[in-house]
Amino acid sequence: MELLLFNIFNGLIVGLFYALMALGLSLILGLNGIINFANGSFLALGGYLAFTLKPEIGFWGALVASPLLAGLIGLVIERGLIRPLYGRDPLYSLLLTFGLAMIIQTMLRMTWGANGLPFKVPDFMSHPLSQTYFFLTGYRVFVVVLTILAAGSLFALLQFTRVGVRIRAGNSDLETVSALGINIYRLRAVNFGLGILMAGLAGVLAAGRLGLTPTMGASLLMPSFVAIIVGGVGSLMGSVLGGIIIGVASGIVTTYYPAASQVVIYLIMAVVLIVRPRGLLGQEGLLE
Amino acid sequence: MSQTNSEILRAEDLHTYYGKSHILQGVSLTVGEGELVTVLGRNGAGKTTTLRTLMGLTPARHGTINLFDRDITRWPPHKIAKLGVGYVPEGRKIFGHLTVHDNLRVPAARPGTWTLNTIYDLFPRLAERRSSKGANLSGGEQEMLAIARALLLNPKFLMLDEPSQGLAPVIVDEVMHTIRQMRDEGIAVLLIEQNAWLALGSADRAYVLGDGRIVDSDSAAAFLENKERVKALAGASLDPAGTQ
Ligand SMILES: Nc1ncnc2c1ncn2[C@@H]1O[C@H](COP(=O)(O)OP(=O)(O)O)[C@@H](O)[C@H]1O
Ligand SMILES: [Mg+2]
Repeated sequence: MELLLFNIFNGLIVGLFYALMALGLSLILGLNGIINFANGSFLALGGYLAFTLKPEIGFWGALVASPLLAGLIGLVIERGLIRPLYGRDPLYSLLLTFGLAMIIQTMLRMTWGANGLPFKVPDFMSHPLSQTYFFLTGYRVFVVVLTILAAGSLFALLQFTRVGVRIRAGNSDLETVSALGINIYRLRAVNFGLGILMAGLAGVLAAGRLGLTPTMGASLLMPSFVAIIVGGVGSLMGSVLGGIIIGVASGIVTTYYPAASQVVIYLIMAVVLIVRPRGLLGQEGLLE
Repeated sequence: MSQTNSEILRAEDLHTYYGKSHILQGVSLTVGEGELVTVLGRNGAGKTTTLRTLMGLTPARHGTINLFDRDITRWPPHKIAKLGVGYVPEGRKIFGHLTVHDNLRVPAARPGTWTLNTIYDLFPRLAERRSSKGANLSGGEQEMLAIARALLLNPKFLMLDEPSQGLAPVIVDEVMHTIRQMRDEGIAVLLIEQNAWLALGSADRAYVLGDGRIVDSDSAAAFLENKERVKALAGASLDPAGTQ
């Protein structure tokens, strides 16, 4: 029983990483119209930035600064590299973000080395909170709380701020948004940066749980795409839900048949695509 | 003819393409301060393309556009809008998944008389429906919302693309009333219409567009004096009685 709970909780944590990453991917897909294959590399970048910043500004400082910094780098890359590709064949941006993923990954390897690095979280968080439920460490609970906070803040921003309203409007009709006096170039850059910020945050949190490697994001990328499909393309809430579902499902399967823990993710996707192609919370008519 | 003293818009020899198809073939037009100008023409004549070109959405390949004494020919739409241009697109283009209130929070509000509060005063129906999704509004409400959205920019120049399209006659009257009200408040208006009689009833001047060219222009009064002229140029669908 404890083992099952242990795996479910582990799965939940990984699922939250998927969720954060999927949120960023969904944002960028929605307004920028780009499938960002570089999201995994940006996740790793966030983690490594935190690794380097921590000795200078401490864990908490790094936790805040690294995602922001990653987001800023994303914003600059959007302005320089991605912006010229809007309105062209999606193949261009696909190739670009794919190349970007490789370049960032290589830069990480050259800067910090190919071997794994540890990312220590503050001592008080690394102890189990309960003897029976040894896996309930302070850090894991912290990851849950922080993900809820981050996703909540993002939803609040989209719901209540003018920038958020414009991003939502632009998801359906960017041209009309521009005709209403909004600089859509800037809006797209901000949105891209916001998506990368979510990936960067996932990177810092994942570093504290899984350690750092240049490829740490690559292994989270595919499941994050699956999370979007399961949750429903176009629905941010769906992305979160999708991430949690496949994470937890993977955890459960690990208990009984570890070899299938990854396969189950794609199985869930296949079932969703057959039974409900629009995904759990996706809008009707988008894919069916 | 109410040719006013100062021009706010002067478009000269506009040529616009969609890919390889040459749609606007040398359109020139002017709008004076405080004037209500209408562009008539049958379906496919290039009316929408003209507005899109003026708004920077489908930039002209040749020609120049001067607005408020500035050459805006190569400007992006948002810069043009921020000069004080309100645009009410064909088909309204309401953000259907956003509430009425959120629709009104999209535009880059410029300072002026129009704020969310004064807009809700002008359109009480929108105030009532402020929490409804745009997609759930009636056609008339959507048209009002599209106009309200444009007014929040506090425009000095308002462009409307077939605001009467698909609306019941009573609602059309209401919409036309609002448009005249704006003109009377000093906003210059460029109104596109297929329904010539409707537009000529409110306009100061009119242009007739045919196959991407201006084929006729005159004061609205002059057009109204000669019904045959309107019919001949703009097609039979423009019968005043609506016997189409
Ligand atoms: N996006 C487009 N791509 C190609 N051709 C278009 C496009 N939009 C309009 N057209 C063509 O341009 C011409 C003028 O269209 P439009 O400006 O919409 O006319 P109107 O508004 O007067 O009905 C039409 O022949 C139409 O088929
Ligand atoms: Mg049209």
